[in-house]
Amino acid sequence: MEHRSLIQRLVAKPEFGPFVLLVVEVAVFWSINPDFLSPLNISNTLAFTVELGLIALAMTLLMTSGEFDLSVGSLFGFSPVLMWTLFNAGVVSLPLAFVVALIVAAIIGYVNGWFVTRLKIPSFLVTLGMLLVVRGTALFVTDGFPQRTWKADGNWLATILVGDFYVGPFRIYASLFWFIAAVIILGYLLTKTRTGNWIQAAGGNPGAARARGVQVDRVKVGLFMLSSTMAALAGIISSIRTSAANPNSGTGYELEVIAMVVIGGTALTGGRGTIIGTVLGILILRIMRNGIVLIGVPGLAYNIFIGAIILGMMALHSWLERRHQAGT
Amino acid sequence: MVEPLIKMEKIRKSYGRVTALDGVDFQVNHNEIVGLLGDNGAGKSTLIKVLSGAVPLTSGAIHVRGKKVDFHSTSDAIAAGIETIYQDSALVTQLSIARNLFLGREPIKGPRFLNRMDQDEMNRVARDLLKQVGISKNIPPTTPIGSLSGGERQAVAIARAMYFDSDLIILDEPTNNLGVAETQGVLSFVRNARDSGHSCIFIAHNIHHVFQVVDRIVVMRRGKVVADNIDPKTTSVAAVEDVITGMSELTGGAHAH
Repeated sequence: MEHRSLIQRLVAKPEFGPFVLLVVEVAVFWSINPDFLSPLNISNTLAFTVELGLIALAMTLLMTSGEFDLSVGSLFGFSPVLMWTLFNAGVVSLPLAFVVALIVAAIIGYVNGWFVTRLKIPSFLVTLGMLLVVRGTALFVTDGFPQRTWKADGNWLATILVGDFYVGPFRIYASLFWFIAAVIILGYLLTKTRTGNWIQAAGGNPGAARARGVQVDRVKVGLFMLSSTMAALAGIISSIRTSAANPNSGTGYELEVIAMVVIGGTALTGGRGTIIGTVLGILILRIMRNGIVLIGVPGLAYNIFIGAIILGMMALHSWLERRHQAGT
Repeated sequence: MVEPLIKMEKIRKSYGRVTALDGVDFQVNHNEIVGLLGDNGAGKSTLIKVLSGAVPLTSGAIHVRGKKVDFHSTSDAIAAGIETIYQDSALVTQLSIARNLFLGREPIKGPRFLNRMDQDEMNRVARDLLKQVGISKNIPPTTPIGSLSGGERQAVAIARAMYFDSDLIILDEPTNNLGVAETQGVLSFVRNARDSGHSCIFIAHNIHHVFQVVDRIVVMRRGKVVADNIDPKTTSVAAVEDVITGMSELTGGAHAH
């Protein structure tokens, strides 16, 4: 194999396409409406972006292992409802309710993983079923009404999760740091550790991985649990920030999250995943949603742009993949 | 006399009413390349699957270095030093050469809880191994398997088996779909493996490939071994073909127990 120049190698990276798209996007929105880069707009956009981003990061690892999780949106709605219901009923303290909600989410992830690995049912069907069960439970226990959340103000747990402060004109939420921590930890896990090698092998060629003694099923179950728990954490953070625990919240998030992950260059079929790409994918979609409103495009047209981005990026990734496989 | 590396005795394997192996005796000696030949349905694949732990045997016994073994999975067989290389299926195409070599046995660097792979060490060993197995081109160990040719992939799989001290490397149709030069490459990888102390079972449809590399030929037909000591140096290809098709029962050193 001949030596390739730095630029050629950079272009061949799956993150390159999304990076260029992000830069173009920011440049276009900013040139049309300078308010796009105002501190207020950046602060507002960032607050919700990192919440959805937490789910996308966990989904990246799960999808690299060859599975995906449609139940994350329903957990985003269900977990805060569970936490606030427990707390409002006076049964437990807020931190304990928080821990219980996360444990329940982890158990739901375990059940997803058990159905997929033991019963060999495709994750599409398993997590679709779980989506309905979890969403249905949230609606049933609340009669469809939002839960009271106002007692969170000043609670230390709420401050740690999503307390806000100003850096100059920027309003920063603590959730941003949780997001950055998750990027670093999960990025390290995927690219530097043995576990990361197993995750990629589990998605790329599970038979070969098993033959080498890799516990493919255990890896997948673990990632299903991570995905549910992160969705629960994101939902709880969001509910504290907006002072609302609506059993309907998170509807449709699963598809937006999966779109973020694949736009970033992670393969839907598994074997190849990138955390940096997912960060770019998260920013691309959230900035698109924010930007088209700011430049005056009707919000209802949002999905047209998202769909076009997904199709365009998939075409690019598939083209790069084929070039790469051909060894050029 | 030295114990053979592998000794399979009176192996029977039935799938329901179909008997795939009907009392097979088969052995592999140390430092030997055995060619396993037979028509489709003769029982070669089943015999290999039994030996590699992929399917359980119905009755009979397998001895490795004189010790009876009981394989419940391919990992058991790998632990006993038997590595099976099926074309293409043994490697993860998205991962690099080095990551494939060490898959499941990655060396750790630094504190254990950080679980960090020692990628420098992996790349160093991979580079040495590729040279040792006989790949002359300069392929970086970070190259994904997906961009290697069929022959190079075989080489990586063989290198992995050699590095992890598999005593027996089973190659199932390693030269299928390969060009002439690539085939010669794979045959030389197999010779290198024997010269560094490994035994091989070589299965191929192309008898000429088998003749070029093996020390001894075993022929199966309808679930039985019909010749187990054919010397490729003193026997003609045509004569072996006759044994495979059943035209002749006694050719070369067949049945020379």
